[in-house]
Amino acid sequence: MASPASKSRLLIAHLPGVGDGRSVCRALAAAALALLAACGTRTGTTAGGLVVVDDAGDTTRLARPAVRVVSLSPATTELMFAIGAGPVLVGRTRWCDYPAEAKAVPDVGDGIPPNIESVLAQHPDLVLLYRSPQNVDAARRFREAGAAVLQLDFNHLADVSRLARLVAPLVGHAAEGDSLATSLDRQLHQLAATRDTTHAANVLIMAWDQPPMVIGAGSFQSEILTLAGGHNVFDDVTAPSATVSIEAIAARHPAVILVSDTGVPGFARRPEWRVVPAVRDRHFLHFATPAFGRPSPRAPALVRALRDSLAAAR
Amino acid sequence: MRNRWPWLLALTLVSLVLGLALGATRIPPSAIWLGLRDASADAAPVVRQLRLPRVLLGFLVGGGLAVSGAVLQALVRNPLADPFVLGISGGATLGAVAAISAGLTNPWGVPFAAFAGAVLTLVLVYRLSLVAGRRLDSGVLLLAGVVVSSFAMALVTAILMLVDATRVQNSFRWMLGGLWAGSWTTVGMVAAYGSVPLIVLMVRARDLDLLALGEEQARHLGADPERVKRLAYLATGFLTAVAVATSGAIGFVGLLVPHAVRRLWGPLHRALLPSVFLAGGGFLVLADAIARSIAPPVELPVGVVTALVGVPFFALLLKRRLA
Repeated sequence: MASPASKSRLLIAHLPGVGDGRSVCRALAAAALALLAACGTRTGTTAGGLVVVDDAGDTTRLARPAVRVVSLSPATTELMFAIGAGPVLVGRTRWCDYPAEAKAVPDVGDGIPPNIESVLAQHPDLVLLYRSPQNVDAARRFREAGAAVLQLDFNHLADVSRLARLVAPLVGHAAEGDSLATSLDRQLHQLAATRDTTHAANVLIMAWDQPPMVIGAGSFQSEILTLAGGHNVFDDVTAPSATVSIEAIAARHPAVILVSDTGVPGFARRPEWRVVPAVRDRHFLHFATPAFGRPSPRAPALVRALRDSLAAAR
Repeated sequence: MRNRWPWLLALTLVSLVLGLALGATRIPPSAIWLGLRDASADAAPVVRQLRLPRVLLGFLVGGGLAVSGAVLQALVRNPLADPFVLGISGGATLGAVAAISAGLTNPWGVPFAAFAGAVLTLVLVYRLSLVAGRRLDSGVLLLAGVVVSSFAMALVTAILMLVDATRVQNSFRWMLGGLWAGSWTTVGMVAAYGSVPLIVLMVRARDLDLLALGEEQARHLGADPERVKRLAYLATGFLTAVAVATSGAIGFVGLLVPHAVRRLWGPLHRALLPSVFLAGGGFLVLADAIARSIAPPVELPVGVVTALVGVPFFALLLKRRLA
């Protein structure tokens, strides 16, 4: 075995059904799978169980698909239902509001950081965590209590299909995960191909007004806007969001402002905002749907809706 | 540097010019000048509606916080005192966070709630500090400020834990403080509400000097220490409340500027307070100009700049004095 596999060999040696010398081929196949898993893209299946490497670089093994899963972010909860694994959920955060069935899953409180005791009270065999420095300690404690833990990056549209493929096999829904991911990738690809780039409207996505905070290129919301044929006026900001001045907003000449409030937002009534023509002329697009708050399988539908709204606003 | 006024006027002028000249967009000085004189010029909206009111708000808030700090340091006779030591920022934060969490959509909802919270804290701390109902004890005042502030911040944390996650994040931004609310309306508000306590303090500056000698001494020299203390406390409290309501808790101006001015030109309040006002105003306007132009389009919280610029300057001043 070549050197890149040496790390994986260690990994395989712990797997039951490998390392008994019966078949070099099987070991090689397992090594290849483990390597794939190490890239964080796929869940590997070996004769002895499931191996996955999460976004924190931690390897998780399950002898059989998990049957008691606590999902500690609204995005993973929605994903679980989308791949048909809703029934194995035994815990969700208080922010998990989609689909409606999610409300029937026991509420274990916050997700960043979670309440260790209320999560463990559900006796989970798998915990899905949003990857954040604030969750590192919780991940360790859940593992100590015997649960498998995945720390997941869920920040971009591409994460939805990637994580569908990663998580689905662990809950016995590999086929559904794969088909969701394939369909999602196809739709997003198609949307990207049919994007109208000639009339891209300059759009500002306002996240907050006191102080003014805007969405930058690092957010999936900016990705949705781009796919819908809009141009994020703050796409040079690589972070998901940033505090900027009204002057900076005025200088970018947004034609349309995407806001989450309904009605004319409060800040539009403040005199200093009149410097921004789109505020003065009330060119607001209300995009209050909660689906806009997280990357989800609903993204393609959202892109189409925003495309229509932008076309109507033009 | 014997005569302070040329220096302070120069600082004021330089800060006002730089405050108008720097920003997220690059506007040549000639265009700014034109924008100031001619309402139909290209740069006029940005210069007249954004930069000028923001610079003026920064000057008034910086000056107010610095005067407030100077008076409180004399009042509680503690060099560590700053405008926020008496719990006013805690009360303002509580008011603002409660308004943000309640989803108040009125454009003036947050500053108004912050002001109400600040004034409420002011009254509460004042009542707690009146020993036996009549004497204002500086030690108790400090203690009451810390206690009330802790109580307010505990309520803030509780609210933040119980409301929507995005609102939590946004409330934290408010708590960092900044001059992004600069408009003619906020300038008018600060000028209207801040001028009364400011004038009261300037007029009573001599009494503050007497108080610095000790309460017994002050009484012998004809001042009524109780009255002076109450007036000083209520005036600084009100001044801080106005500043915090429009700009959040901007740190270091109220702590550093009075010390720096005292080290440079001595402690007598009659000259100290106007000097501190000019120095505090100029300092905050400069810090804000840096904060909004150093990494455009992103704006740094101005409190970060006041600390990064103010602390080394202060350290230098301390060292020079010792040498």
